[in-house]
Amino acid sequence: MIDPLFLEGIIKILFVFVLISAGLIISTRNLSSVLTTYTIQSFLLAAVSFLLYLIDGKSQLLLLAGLTLASKVILIPYFISRIEEKIKIGRDLHFAYLEPTPSLLLSIGLILLSYTFLSKVFEGLPLTKLFFFGAVIGLSLTLMGMLVMFSRKKVVTKALGYLSMENGVLMFGLFVTELPFIIEVLIIIDLVILVMLTTILAVGMDSSIEEYRQKFRKLQVWTGVESQ
Amino acid sequence: MLEVLMYGAIAALISGTVLPLLYRSKNTRKASFGLSLISSVLLLGFAGAILYTGKEPVFPAIRYLPGLDFTLAADRLAAGFILLIAAVVPGVSIYSIEYVEHAKSEARKNLQAALTNLFILAMLMVVLAGNMVGFLIFWEIMSLSSLLLVLHDYSSEENKKAGFFYFVMTNISTAFLFLGFIILFRLTGSAEFGPLEYSASELALPFLFLFIGFGVKAGLVPFHKWLPYAHPAAPSSVSALMSGVMLKVAVYGFLRFLLSVSTPELWWGVLIITAGSLSALFGVIYALKENDIKRLLAYSSIENIGIIFTGIGLYVIFRVEGLESLALLSLAGSCFHAFNHALFKSLLFLCAGSIVHATGTRKIEAFGGLVKSMPATSALFMVGSVSIAALPPTNGFAGELLLYQAFFQSFAVTNPLLTVFLIIALSSFALTGALAAALFVKLFGITCLAMPRSEKSSLAKEVPKHMLIGPAIPAALCILGGLFSKQLLSLAGWEIEFPDLLLLGLLLGLIYAALFLIIRSKETSPARISETWGCGIPTLAPYMEYSSAGFSEPLVMIFKNIYRTKIVHRAEYFDRQESLFRNGNVEIRLLRFFEEYLYIPPARAIESFSKYVSKLQNGKLDSYVLYAFLAVIVLIIATGGFV
Repeated sequence: MIDPLFLEGIIKILFVFVLISAGLIISTRNLSSVLTTYTIQSFLLAAVSFLLYLIDGKSQLLLLAGLTLASKVILIPYFISRIEEKIKIGRDLHFAYLEPTPSLLLSIGLILLSYTFLSKVFEGLPLTKLFFFGAVIGLSLTLMGMLVMFSRKKVVTKALGYLSMENGVLMFGLFVTELPFIIEVLIIIDLVILVMLTTILAVGMDSSIEEYRQKFRKLQVWTGVESQ
Repeated sequence: MLEVLMYGAIAALISGTVLPLLYRSKNTRKASFGLSLISSVLLLGFAGAILYTGKEPVFPAIRYLPGLDFTLAADRLAAGFILLIAAVVPGVSIYSIEYVEHAKSEARKNLQAALTNLFILAMLMVVLAGNMVGFLIFWEIMSLSSLLLVLHDYSSEENKKAGFFYFVMTNISTAFLFLGFIILFRLTGSAEFGPLEYSASELALPFLFLFIGFGVKAGLVPFHKWLPYAHPAAPSSVSALMSGVMLKVAVYGFLRFLLSVSTPELWWGVLIITAGSLSALFGVIYALKENDIKRLLAYSSIENIGIIFTGIGLYVIFRVEGLESLALLSLAGSCFHAFNHALFKSLLFLCAGSIVHATGTRKIEAFGGLVKSMPATSALFMVGSVSIAALPPTNGFAGELLLYQAFFQSFAVTNPLLTVFLIIALSSFALTGALAAALFVKLFGITCLAMPRSEKSSLAKEVPKHMLIGPAIPAALCILGGLFSKQLLSLAGWEIEFPDLLLLGLLLGLIYAALFLIIRSKETSPARISETWGCGIPTLAPYMEYSSAGFSEPLVMIFKNIYRTKIVHRAEYFDRQESLFRNGNVEIRLLRFFEEYLYIPPARAIESFSKYVSKLQNGKLDSYVLYAFLAVIVLIIATGGFV
């Protein structure tokens, strides 16, 4: 049996890497790098889940680690890398509302906000320091994923932002809420994302939302009359 | 027994609403109006019994949602206003049987019949509502059904504008009512209309909100502008209901609140009297200048609502001063005038409808000589005019006499400033009465007397019998209500010192008869029928007659400060620099003071604000996600207790 304190130390190091990966998703311009970062982030989460299993010994945690590994480290990145091969553009250069540097500064603010917020919310609850930090990282990750969704232009990046946000929810769930429930929800969400991604794939993942609409119009998918 | 009458009336009105929607034919429309007639007879029994015996029936509450009871209640105040509804509806229903047939299509005819019944039902239920929830629900149904009736002839641009204006104003009214009722609900913790024993500062805000809310609906100056737009647009039978009953329902709501307050403040009364006097004065002054018969009657409604509110204000002041019997007198005067106005205004609107139908125009300048072509309608129209001008022995005289009595006894008020204020209010009240008399001399004279001023008027024919029987009912009630006013008031439980108009009426009749006989017997030579002397001009032409504008010219001169004119330029240019003139026009028209300074600026402000707000909705996904993000952040900050 490995010493729990040692494991907790490793989890704390992984937290730092999770945060770094979130920052990279916000600021990286190269699409394949963003995908790689997301894959690494998911892998880190799977690792955290596995380490928690080693500490607690709850089988659900192992299940969760496996699920995360299968869906978020292998399946989804595989799909998205297929798209990135198909589309011509490899980079997402444009930002809306926030450039990378202000975004990163804002994310620092978000982490501080979640820290103070959760320390007020969990005041008086018997929560160890590790679990508290896990919750803070989870919430910040969620907010940062949301930030990606509105500050990046390309649909691929937006989708990755959403997935990263969902990672934050998973993180939060790992440390705070009841597990069996969250596993079910996560599986459903993951399936939805998979379906969503695969259905949208074929048409113009390389564009921004507005151009995307135009393409749909041309294809007469939404309204046959307008295109004439 | 009483409950049976009321449920019967409600059932009749509901079936009157549903029936014309099911099957389009003349018979269903007739049946529909017949049902509203039946309901009014039932209501007459119901309200009369409550007023006479003073026994108030109790109805079981229906709970449709937790915390939302639906209760019905009929106390003496409600019974008084139900009586008012029951008095106006028969005339309108009989009149409508024929009148509705002039609508453009079968569908519209049936819709008008159904909506009229729904409108009556909604007004009845507002008065019967036992709590605020029911009151507001039926208030909205009343507003919407009347809006649809105003928009009856929706194809014309003018009517669309009228409908929109009415819609906006009626919603403003409802919004203020909601605010007032919500504050009352928070104060009392229940939606019931119960006694309000709270300090004046706690009740000041609900009072103001309810005053504005009911004031907008009743048509008090400066919230009156929807009336002169809505009435010409609506069918005349609907105008009769709106002006006769709906405005009074607003008065009822206001009284319902005011009577439940145990300690009103002096400034409430001063505010109500000021608004009432201004409405009365402005209403009649604007009416004098008006050339559209229905718009003139709408302005006259504003005047009468002003008189009713003056009485309510007097009631508040006397109550604050501790003069209970005077307070009762003013309240009785106010309610009685509301009842009377419902009768003669519906009569006048119905007659106006007949005249407009016969001549095809609403312009007073185009009428004339109708007393020869439409003698029965003219006679009914005269009864209405005499009543509204408050000439004895009609009911208009009786109602205003009560208020004058209350005013005359206001020397009992100890506060000298208040006495001065009441004297000013009395003089403006008296001025209103005089101007109203002049107004209706003009209206009746120009419309019915002399020679026809236009071809349309000379071709006018008497209307069918239903359109005569309808207005004849309120006309008879106007005269009987005046003659038996003392008896009616004591039947309703108000033992007030009041002259017996029956005696006065008999005396007047005897004097007129005696004078007639004396002149007849003393005449030196038999009557000679010939043309009026025309200053040597061989034949008199209609254009030589006293015109509507000519009649009101002296009064217009006196009040010329109120009738300000405005010069409006409009020019179009070929180029952007505005140097090559294309065309344009300049008009001098009456300054629409309230519209241009009170209504349009806030409307513009709201418009520019909404333009600013609508920029938020820019169709970009990024922005929407940003809003969601900001909302989450705000939520975190708010729930985290940082604020």
